[in-house]
Amino acid sequence: MASEDSADVIVVGTGVVGCLIAEQMLDAGLSVLMLEAGPRVDRWRIVENFRNLPPTLRLHFDAPYPPKAWAPHLESYTDAAGAEYLQLEGPNARAYRQGYVRYAGGATWHWAGICWRLTPQDMRLKSLYGVARDWDFDYNTLEPYYTRAEYAMGVCGPSDPALQWPPIRSKPYPMGPLPFGPGEQRFTDAAARLGLKNVPAAQARNSRIAYDGRPPCCGNNNCIPVCPIAAKYDAATALPKIEAKGGRIRANAVAYRVETAQKNTIEAVHYFDPDKHSHRVTGKIFVLACNGIETPKLLLLSKDERNKNGVANSSDQVGRNMMDQPKLVAELTLAEPMWTGVGPVQGSSIMQTSQGDFRNRHGGALFRFNNMARSTFGGIAAVRKGLVGKALDTEIRRLAACTAEIAIEHELLPDPNNRLTLSEQKDWLGINKPNIYYDVGDYVRRSAKEFSTPLVRKLAAELGATDIRVSTEFTNSDHIMGGTIMGADSSASVVDLDCRAHDHPNLFLPGGGAMTTSGCGNSTLTMTALALKAADAIAGQMKRS
Amino acid sequence: MLGGFAAATNIPALAVEASIAAFPSQFMEISSLLIPHQLDRDVGLRLAAALSMKDPEFAAHVANLLDIARQKHATIVEEFFPDVPDGPLKDAARLIISAWYLGVIVDAPDAEVFAYELALMYQPTIDVMTVPSYAIAGPNGWGSAAPPLERMPKF
Amino acid sequence: MLNPASSLVCCFLVAVAGSTWAAASPADAGDSSELIKRGEYLATAADCGACHTAAGGKPYAGGLAISSPVGTIYSTNITPSAASGIGRYSEEQFARAVRRGIRPDGANLYPAMPYTSYSIFTDADVQALYSYFMKGVAPVDAPGPRTDLPFPMNIRLSMMAWNLLFLNKKPFEPDPRESQAWNRGRYLVQGAAHCSTCHTPRGFLMEEQTGQTFAGGQVGAWYAPNITSDVNSGIGSWSQDELVQYLRTGDARGKAQAAGSMGEAVEHSFQYLSDADLNAMATYVRTVPAIHDPSDRSSRFAFGKASSDLGLLRGKYGIRNDDGDPTGAELFQANCASCHSALGQGSKDGYYPSLFSNSALGSNNPNNLIATILNGVDRTTSKGQAYMPGFAGGPNDLAALADQKIALLGTYLLERYGRPGVVVGAEQVADVRRGGPSSSLVALARVGVAAATIAVFLIAFVVAARVKRRNKPIT
Repeated sequence: MASEDSADVIVVGTGVVGCLIAEQMLDAGLSVLMLEAGPRVDRWRIVENFRNLPPTLRLHFDAPYPPKAWAPHLESYTDAAGAEYLQLEGPNARAYRQGYVRYAGGATWHWAGICWRLTPQDMRLKSLYGVARDWDFDYNTLEPYYTRAEYAMGVCGPSDPALQWPPIRSKPYPMGPLPFGPGEQRFTDAAARLGLKNVPAAQARNSRIAYDGRPPCCGNNNCIPVCPIAAKYDAATALPKIEAKGGRIRANAVAYRVETAQKNTIEAVHYFDPDKHSHRVTGKIFVLACNGIETPKLLLLSKDERNKNGVANSSDQVGRNMMDQPKLVAELTLAEPMWTGVGPVQGSSIMQTSQGDFRNRHGGALFRFNNMARSTFGGIAAVRKGLVGKALDTEIRRLAACTAEIAIEHELLPDPNNRLTLSEQKDWLGINKPNIYYDVGDYVRRSAKEFSTPLVRKLAAELGATDIRVSTEFTNSDHIMGGTIMGADSSASVVDLDCRAHDHPNLFLPGGGAMTTSGCGNSTLTMTALALKAADAIAGQMKRS
Repeated sequence: MLGGFAAATNIPALAVEASIAAFPSQFMEISSLLIPHQLDRDVGLRLAAALSMKDPEFAAHVANLLDIARQKHATIVEEFFPDVPDGPLKDAARLIISAWYLGVIVDAPDAEVFAYELALMYQPTIDVMTVPSYAIAGPNGWGSAAPPLERMPKF
Repeated sequence: MLNPASSLVCCFLVAVAGSTWAAASPADAGDSSELIKRGEYLATAADCGACHTAAGGKPYAGGLAISSPVGTIYSTNITPSAASGIGRYSEEQFARAVRRGIRPDGANLYPAMPYTSYSIFTDADVQALYSYFMKGVAPVDAPGPRTDLPFPMNIRLSMMAWNLLFLNKKPFEPDPRESQAWNRGRYLVQGAAHCSTCHTPRGFLMEEQTGQTFAGGQVGAWYAPNITSDVNSGIGSWSQDELVQYLRTGDARGKAQAAGSMGEAVEHSFQYLSDADLNAMATYVRTVPAIHDPSDRSSRFAFGKASSDLGLLRGKYGIRNDDGDPTGAELFQANCASCHSALGQGSKDGYYPSLFSNSALGSNNPNNLIATILNGVDRTTSKGQAYMPGFAGGPNDLAALADQKIALLGTYLLERYGRPGVVVGAEQVADVRRGGPSSSLVALARVGVAAATIAVFLIAFVVAARVKRRNKPIT
């Protein structure tokens, strides 16, 4: 069933979740029509955008991605600009200033590529520690999907179980690990002296070989904001493959309403084009994969007679339980050079600190050496000091080599009060902007005070830091989770264990929004595993009907 | 600008033209004195134009800085920089250095960018760090060895 | 394998049988496993698998589509399968196929099978090859697709006339004035390695042009360049070591990198040859008579230097979310410089080659520059995988650059890092994208046949008319 404006499966959103599902559906012989709010932009244009940025914007990862008027996303170049789209409130509003890209390909354009799995314990917080919720299936159920996601994206990682996180795997990583640069190695050695393992990150980055026809990493050190050569997996690389398989992708199509029918099945999705004309597409199955903010927003926008709180929202959980990993940063000045800028921007983390019995009191945290080249930082700081000649060059080199940043990412509990609602303010198309209330909670604050900040000071001391500054204001990690939370109990969750909306048998909401708990690690691998699980369910459902 | 200048100071037009035409090469000359490194001529021309557009006194500052350098028979910046008086002249000197190193005259979100790859701030660490978005080596061709901090690359 | 002492002896016994030169004497061929191993080595040297093994297919089971200027030719199954391969061939029939291009049923093979080169294989080497294919290769009982060239090429009889004109029937005779390495090299280069089938230009009837050996030839989307000893037009500037290294790894730093069919030849054939054989081939190739193109005033390996237009373009085009109508310089910086470096100098470890001092950009024929941009490079040797993605816009390609953009980019690259004055046009890019120029041979042959047919009818009509008039009663 495929005409101009219909297909077996309508997928809204061309990020990694939408693209993985589209590929699976096409392989299962179903027709697919994808809607993408933003434009299709060539990789080379984004690379040049990045190089055309002034130094002050180089760490603003949204800066190479100017949005189209009809598909706004966070622009952070000034505070005023940052307050334009996402309406944020609460004690930790700053920590939900989430960056994502409303271009075809989605936020994986500028993700770091890190692919941690949850641990079995991460999925049983309620039973083990009396907090949050238990996932309603266990790690062993998710494991095969983790493996499939790793092979779909091309994830590299260590073969030594002592270095794997977690070392519970049915298949080896598709590729072996990437080498450490000088900074990562020093960090690893210092951590080891404290009895901590800084393990090579599982990362969706081609290591040594051209996996899936994409070249191997050559150390551009530019993963964030864009991999110039697609050695890092990003969903933009999936788009031509989807089209080659017969999938259709409609860019600059901003979905604004999900239409339900008599029996509360989903009938259609309505979208605006850049001329503000409305269009309607129909299908048998609908997948909303717009990310953890845009999907709940779209559901709330779609309230109708049958669904007075919004589509899929009989539980009143749509938009609630918004999660991320609140981040703190330690800035170190060192006596000895550490060096950054060799290899990918993130390549390792201390993960074992995300686990422990303390989780009945406070959250776990991961510690990560930031390998982004600090030459820009050194340059600006040394020039500002008014130095000239040899003194200037020497100081640039010293500051670049002898300073470092350690990121701390905390796990956060799902709290129904951390909530996305529709703002009164409207965007260029007249669509309500998202409003998010966010409070990281005492669980996180206690972790920072009693656990992570003291530990990062120990790490700094072990590295021979002469100065350390630990931030106290939490910031965003861009891992948007929880807004369409998964569970077996339809009164307390939005989607079932296959990411199917409890309220609508032909609506699927896979992605970060479905995650029941956050863990400490980057959420993408879990999102994509859930996407593949949903894809299997959709294919099975279509076969039976 | 040309007409106004000539009218205000009554200098013969030809001399004015000559001094304005000389400005880019004077700018390169003072830049080389302030910064003992290889400087890209195209970047220099653009910086010269932008700096003098921003500040009508800039050409005069450049000429004055050159005078100071020549008086001290300076070949490198350390030999004449302390003699540059605080105020507009010192600011101009620092601005020239900053522009070449950072690749911008003003580091603001909407600033004009003149250099990235050729911005000098990346050169002091070029033996270890890549300039982001450029390859450091072939596949997995990097490691954890690093040269000593004292060994400044030549550029 | 090749014992220097025994071959020296054999040289003096050249009169006995030309075939004893290149290999151990027939008497030594009694050891069957040795024979099979030697056959395997020769099959590697001749790269039989390049055509007879399809991508992802079983070894030697055929089925590879070879696009020729006259149509698609499918390689055949040469496994020892009796039903689908050559299992029923006698050694005599095998030899005729390999050296004369004639099948056991008497039909002619198309010269996509380089039997014109293989014609010089010695009897002993043919015996070894036969042993390998009969006993060293697993039989695969699956026939490949039939070759169906357009009329009149589908009439294999036409090959008989072609062979009469162009097939060499003389056995190989070593030159006693030259070294043993040179002779061994000539045997391999002219025979198994069949270098001239790509590197020698072909005439209108697709025959290798005499007097133009190794002067360069078009092979599908790629151009096999001049590899004569000419210092400017050929590889006269290469050292022995450089050439051996290039054959072994596909990379001569600061000169050339193998891609397309040559990349495959390195990967599947040359990298496995012995040091002695590679050196022998290099020894011979470096003496091939120089053929000079008058437009070459310096060698294609010596153009360009580290440089860029960054001073002019950085910051000029701003931050945009649309195509922006890029210049060639911008396309270079955006698509190529991440690996090939901002000044075109490549990576420090040489993995990503410099764009200057590079034959693809220094040649007066930009074909290979275009083909590389479109198709990339994928060549695996003991050195690892040399990989460059393609920019043609296929499902696996990094970027989709249209013909016009590649023309802009190519012209810029040539201007800045290569041979000034050479330009790339969009139609040329389209040609290479399609797989190379097609031949008008088919069309002309058809016209010829049609013309001949019409002529026959006309003549018949005129004759019939005359006869009728003659037989009419006079009134």
